[in-house]
Amino acid sequence: MVSREIEKILPLVQKPGRYTGGELNSVIKDKSKVDIRYAFCFPDSYEIGMSHLGIKILYSAANKREDCWCERVFAPWHDMEEEMRKRNLPLYALESGDPIKDFDLIGFTLQYELSYTNVLNMLDLAGLPIKSSERKSLTPIVVAGGPCACNAEPMAEFIDLFLLGDGEELCDEVITLLKESKKENLSKEDFLKKAAKIEGVYVPSFYDVSYNEDLTIKAVEAKNGAPEKVKKRIVSDLDSVHYPDNFIVPFIEVIHDRVVHEIFRGCIRGCRFCQAGFLYRPIREKSADTINEQCKVLCEKTGYDEISLSSLSTSDYTHLEELLNKLLSWTIPEKINVALPSLRVDNFSDELMEKLSKVRRSGLTFAPEAGTQRLRDAINKNVTEDEVLRTSAKAFSGGWTAVKLYFMLGLPTETYDDVAGIAELSQKVVDEFYKNPDKPKGKGVQVSISVSSFVPKPFTPFQWEAQDTREELENKQKHLLSNIKTKKISVSYHKVEISFLEGVFARGDRRLSKVIEYAWKNGCKFDSWDDSFKFDVWLRAFEETGIDPLFYSSRKRDFSEILPWDHLDYGISRKFLEKENKKAHESQTTPHCRIKCAGCGANKLNGGKCDALCENLV
Amino acid sequence: MRCVRIWFEKVGMSRYISHLDLMRTMSRAVRRSKIPLWYTEGFNPHPYMTFALPLSLGMESICESMDIKIEGEISNEEIFSSLKAVMPEGINIKSVTDGEIDPKYIAFGKFEIRFSGVENGEDFCLMLKDILSSSELPVQKLGKKGRKKVYKEINLMEYIKEYSVKEASQEPVLEVLLPAGSVTNVNPSLLAEEIIKRAGDGVSYVILRKELFTDKMESFK
Repeated sequence: MVSREIEKILPLVQKPGRYTGGELNSVIKDKSKVDIRYAFCFPDSYEIGMSHLGIKILYSAANKREDCWCERVFAPWHDMEEEMRKRNLPLYALESGDPIKDFDLIGFTLQYELSYTNVLNMLDLAGLPIKSSERKSLTPIVVAGGPCACNAEPMAEFIDLFLLGDGEELCDEVITLLKESKKENLSKEDFLKKAAKIEGVYVPSFYDVSYNEDLTIKAVEAKNGAPEKVKKRIVSDLDSVHYPDNFIVPFIEVIHDRVVHEIFRGCIRGCRFCQAGFLYRPIREKSADTINEQCKVLCEKTGYDEISLSSLSTSDYTHLEELLNKLLSWTIPEKINVALPSLRVDNFSDELMEKLSKVRRSGLTFAPEAGTQRLRDAINKNVTEDEVLRTSAKAFSGGWTAVKLYFMLGLPTETYDDVAGIAELSQKVVDEFYKNPDKPKGKGVQVSISVSSFVPKPFTPFQWEAQDTREELENKQKHLLSNIKTKKISVSYHKVEISFLEGVFARGDRRLSKVIEYAWKNGCKFDSWDDSFKFDVWLRAFEETGIDPLFYSSRKRDFSEILPWDHLDYGISRKFLEKENKKAHESQTTPHCRIKCAGCGANKLNGGKCDALCENLV
Repeated sequence: MRCVRIWFEKVGMSRYISHLDLMRTMSRAVRRSKIPLWYTEGFNPHPYMTFALPLSLGMESICESMDIKIEGEISNEEIFSSLKAVMPEGINIKSVTDGEIDPKYIAFGKFEIRFSGVENGEDFCLMLKDILSSSELPVQKLGKKGRKKVYKEINLMEYIKEYSVKEASQEPVLEVLLPAGSVTNVNPSLLAEEIIKRAGDGVSYVILRKELFTDKMESFK
């Protein structure tokens, strides 16, 4: 329950339902009977955070323990923050309404780089020092996980420990250790020393980083008994690992307001630009029976009328037919819609098409990523123009009149011809519509192309590449627009300033902590929201701290350089990434993991097991 | 297929659920309860669900009602107990009836305005009576002129049908009868805002809708 003071300001703010708690299925416990109070923080608005599957999984896993009460915390929107600061009301957790500064564990999930300032702001709003070194007592311990933890060096000064990889079992072990440490009255330092021994725990303050004169890293040295290389954690079997049998049902509408079910983790494709495709390896599939049963229970307990199957590439799930048959047998009579995001053009079968037409029709989205075959080969997006056109034709004859295509600008080796190729390919998709003899009368076609800017990311074959500068990206955007000749194609693209900042922080090192601190102190927060984004402040932050952002974003690294994340082990061997990088520059493709094992090394994390099930396992 | 009226309270934190969000919340609750719903027969089948009179965000109520269409053999008592078991905090099912009056005949609402943070209860009540015994109380009411939203000045006193003041030490309560419904509707917060403007800092209020009436002052059933 929120306090009376908070209740008083609720009528003054937009969407008060963000701040009340009390939603169906939220977990209430007796605080006198738990040992660990855990604040799970999502550093963005309620609507974004409540859409995130990870928080649902980890919230329910932590609350399964009787000795722990895990609660949710989101970043209050500008208006709410102002009212809270005016009245000195500290950041509170939604379930109990208690200030999180008195909690034992504060966990952030780092989903994107531009949420970093919100982490600082939430710590400050809680009434805690933002720097790890200034929080002296054992509790609260501030931890962070999520994809950005694979190189969260820019956040190293603020976070006590990072959790690498799958969180289901890892969080549990950290909670147990913290509970014991509290009982034994351990100091924070002693707790961190013990925590660093847990596989998947990275304590940044236990690593000394030295630099060369050219500002590159000279060495990273572990101390206090921390491992030289921190290996990410994985859960071995998705069928037996905890999955929530209950979702909190928000009162206000959130972005993804439905039952979401993860069908497999990892990806067989190996697209060279895609960090998720490497970060979550090896492939682990969940059985169709487990998914079907869990979906049924979730629908019953929430009352949702939509299920979305989640993975990096839905049509690569080996039992998709079986799963859809099982699901549709009860979802159709109960009028529940099944959504299949992340379909690929190369295995979009007629049978799948037929199944899809049984569920409510939404838009169709395909991601060719690049405009020419040469560039698609270089990024290892193993999709041909023919496949894109054939699938579009199939969709058009199936009655669709709108198709969305995803592309990227600024990919390594990209030329202006490749950029023009995006316009050409989109035009060919339009033409495909008019070739269809049964096209609906009086209806035009709408091809929407969404063009994002490429950001090189750690643990991908492109981790050494230079990102296009803002000027280059803008020129390419202009070139693309000048090549589009019809109104049937609409183009949207990302702000280059945002992609540029992502580029800096994605591959940044810990010297960037002071840039983040400066930007936050000067009013930056909610940076991923266009109307909150203050690019001029960020530029000033680099200037004032004497840091050249282009050193991080637009500098091509040598294979010999020590990268800020080289002491973290995500199972993917550096040799493999180097080999993939070289192949990219020769526009050579690598077949996906089911055709031939590429030998990335990630199967070693799972005792040699990998659900790509390739017979030629390296 | 038959139509039933579900009566419920919307109190506590649930008063911050907007009308649009309430519709979503209720349709999910009905799905969880497994009541055999009747679905529309169009291209995109959906359950039939309509609310008597939307409640403003932030207001509490003990007289909300929603009409749904059901299919198959199920008694009102069974609907009541299945729904009651699946409601979120603050939305409490009170009863299930067949619904006697069409919501379009709703004309008045009785509201309770509870004030808090009042320093001197007696003085405050005197002020209340003073305001309410005047002949004119001009306020700005947001109305529509064609499609545009415009402010219009109205004399609140012309709309207040009845009122009574209850002194409960630090938390005085004002009960007031105002036009409510699709023809004329006066939001009690117009009156409450006017009062706290004169009451000074620190005073806040919560409004509770207690009962709805037809133009013949018959209770809405």
